[in-house]
Amino acid sequence: MRTRIIVPLVLMLFLGGSAGWAQQRLSDQPGYVSVEQLDLFPREDLSVEINLEGALLRMVAAATRGEDPGFAQVISNLKGIQVQVFPLTGVEEGAVRTKIGRAVRLLEDRGWKATVRVREKDEESYIYLKESGDQILGLTVLAFTAGEEAALINIVGKLDPAQLERLGQSLDIPQLKRVPAGGRKPE
Amino acid sequence: MTRFEELRCEEVLDVLEPWLDGDLPPDEEARVRVHLDSCPSCTAELALARAIQSELRSLPLPDCPPEVLERVRRARGGEVIPFGQPERRTSRPFRAALAAAMLAAAVGASVFFLPPFRNEEPDSEEVARAAEEARYALAYIGQVSRRAGLTLRDHLEAEPVRP
Repeated sequence: MRTRIIVPLVLMLFLGGSAGWAQQRLSDQPGYVSVEQLDLFPREDLSVEINLEGALLRMVAAATRGEDPGFAQVISNLKGIQVQVFPLTGVEEGAVRTKIGRAVRLLEDRGWKATVRVREKDEESYIYLKESGDQILGLTVLAFTAGEEAALINIVGKLDPAQLERLGQSLDIPQLKRVPAGGRKPE
Repeated sequence: MTRFEELRCEEVLDVLEPWLDGDLPPDEEARVRVHLDSCPSCTAELALARAIQSELRSLPLPDCPPEVLERVRRARGGEVIPFGQPERRTSRPFRAALAAAMLAAAVGASVFFLPPFRNEEPDSEEVARAAEEARYALAYIGQVSRRAGLTLRDHLEAEPVRP
């Protein structure tokens, strides 16, 4: 009787432990930002929402290695990408700016360091980095353009900001015009 | 030892078990009953025999293996079936533990050495869309960075930093 109890128990403990060890959650990564906690934009009103992580990013890196090695190199080191774009048409922009200000304070409280902070009449841009030693493990962008849109972008994983910026600028306008059709509307 | 007319104690003790089982002929059964009614010593023996019988009946019936039954059946037909070499058999709990350990080892090995399990492998279309989405995110960062750089440059041109 005792064996009948012990064997399944040992099995369950073994499997549970192995699964827990194997599965590293994105939210446990130091460069991860919880969009729920920032509570910036209502999900149902987002124009673009992107959530990429883990195996899918590795497959993207593998698929693009031949045609775009620079992009594949950046992607292969990432654990997750989160994007939320919120259109500002018909919205009280002051309330959105207040929320962005609150999110900025929250990031700073949690050890994120600002590399870019621009606060103009019609525009706000913030770029924050999460560092560990001499490594950068996360990047978060908050942007606001009056009359257009506000956005939150969180890149999780080991990254080189200079490489990321070069790559981003090379992708700049055509990519932004093309992708929203591919970007997923929240369900 | 008390002596009675009908039966002596030794005679009663000899037939006590068949009497309990109801196997005695009616006249003998009656003589035993008469003796027991008047003999405390044999009545005590009867109580003991009844208790033993009750305990034996409460034991589970032994499960005779089918191969033994088959040997008995064939032996009754005149054929002698020799027993073969005894088979080495492991106990049931040990076999269960062994099976569980092997299963755990197999699953553990798959967790450590195989790629992470996915319920649904993304197809090439999904990977291509994910690549587009990743490019979009990087492009957005590039745009914000460029815009911030331009704003900074405008500020510097309007109000140059003096040494």
